[in-house]
Amino acid sequence: MEIKTFTVADLGLALLSEDFWLTKTLPITKQRALSICHNPRAEKDDPALVVAYQDNLVVGYLGILPDKVFFNNADHKLGWLTGWWVDPCLATKGVGAILLYKALNAYRDRVGVSGGSKEARNVLHASQKFVTLAPLKGLDIRFRFNATRAILRKFPWMKLFRVGFKIADVMLDEIVNLRRFFWERRTHIRQRLTFEYISSIDAETGRFIERHHQHDLTRKGKADLDWIMTYPWIVSAPQKDSASRRYYFSSISARFFYLGVKVFEQNNGMVGFLMLSMRNDRMRVVYSHFESRHAPSIAAAAVYQALAMDVSTLSLYDERLVKSVAGLRCPFWSTQSVSRGFFLSKAFADSPVADCRLHGGDGDFAFY
Amino acid sequence: MNEKITQMLFNVLDELNQLRPREEHLAKELGTPLAGDFGRLDSAALINLIVLTEEKSAQELGRPILLTDDRTMSQINTVFRTVGSLADYIHLLLNEKRDG
Repeated sequence: MEIKTFTVADLGLALLSEDFWLTKTLPITKQRALSICHNPRAEKDDPALVVAYQDNLVVGYLGILPDKVFFNNADHKLGWLTGWWVDPCLATKGVGAILLYKALNAYRDRVGVSGGSKEARNVLHASQKFVTLAPLKGLDIRFRFNATRAILRKFPWMKLFRVGFKIADVMLDEIVNLRRFFWERRTHIRQRLTFEYISSIDAETGRFIERHHQHDLTRKGKADLDWIMTYPWIVSAPQKDSASRRYYFSSISARFFYLGVKVFEQNNGMVGFLMLSMRNDRMRVVYSHFESRHAPSIAAAAVYQALAMDVSTLSLYDERLVKSVAGLRCPFWSTQSVSRGFFLSKAFADSPVADCRLHGGDGDFAFY
Repeated sequence: MNEKITQMLFNVLDELNQLRPREEHLAKELGTPLAGDFGRLDSAALINLIVLTEEKSAQELGRPILLTDDRTMSQINTVFRTVGSLADYIHLLLNEKRDG
């Protein structure tokens, strides 16, 4: 078995080569490699991908997203582990362990993990190298009933009645639309709030973020958010292509884009910024900046955008926004508590990271 | 020293077996396969073994060893092929430390 570590510069070269992309299993997509190469927080010699080869076949890989965390008035380099896969046929060959320790050694034990499968979490726990941060407690707000999808998923044999379910969905959606109409009138949201959509961070937003991100763990600024919006890992496409069939993580979605929303209050000027990611019929607030007193307005803005874009589900990960949702009395079918977990290596255990604010897009979450 | 290393590894197996179902217990024999072609440990179990071995080496042999460096990782299937091969490698590491 051969283990190769690719730096950011190596991925740049891989993008220029043809051979790298010919393997039966891809260890990274071109989209991701391009994104890593443009990461404003990455140095050319930062390790970004560890690949295990056996007989010239890819049998495992682990991506690393170079980033920085901020505490004690200084920034500290770390790598977020992302896209960790091992060929199940080689489960007892230690491939997963090699990949993990290679990544830890490459970053001198300064590594983070956002989310992760149950298997991955078991491995992290076993290594005794990580501490768990308090998870982000979020909320999924369901605006569309989606009876068709829910019923057919549980009872596929009822496909026969699909048309009937569809009609029921349309009617239930109309109820939401009607309630939305009255909600907007009751809250005067269109009179109270105005919005500006941006596809890159402008100077005003950059300054606004700078004023509000001082307690953030990763302190994403203009350059970082611009990079995320410009270099997504998921491409909007109607179906999987040959590359996405050879890669085990998300790389294609029917609809995927980012949108920046500046929120203005009539008498207060700019009161908030939301960075939204839209994937199919789900909207996520991946980064949000505002003062706590404006939380109800910003929560209303997020709900308003979700309804305007006709999404099924809105996911919030900011505690202040989650708390404000109850008071909005907005038209939804149901809500569900969700959480996002983060792990940092013990090298950070004595640092005051627990006091720092995490966002729903931190780690590699912003890219999914 | 060989006997001490073997006994230390058997103690590691005792602890590891407590985390595994009875039918997956590892026999306390030098020939017991760990990782590799005939290995029985998945990544989480192998990492448990590594962590426990590092801990027990410091406790029982009084000599800390490192099994997670790039050198060990590059020969993982040789080092962790059996309990015996792991004992040989630990012996080698301890001799290197003494000579160094």
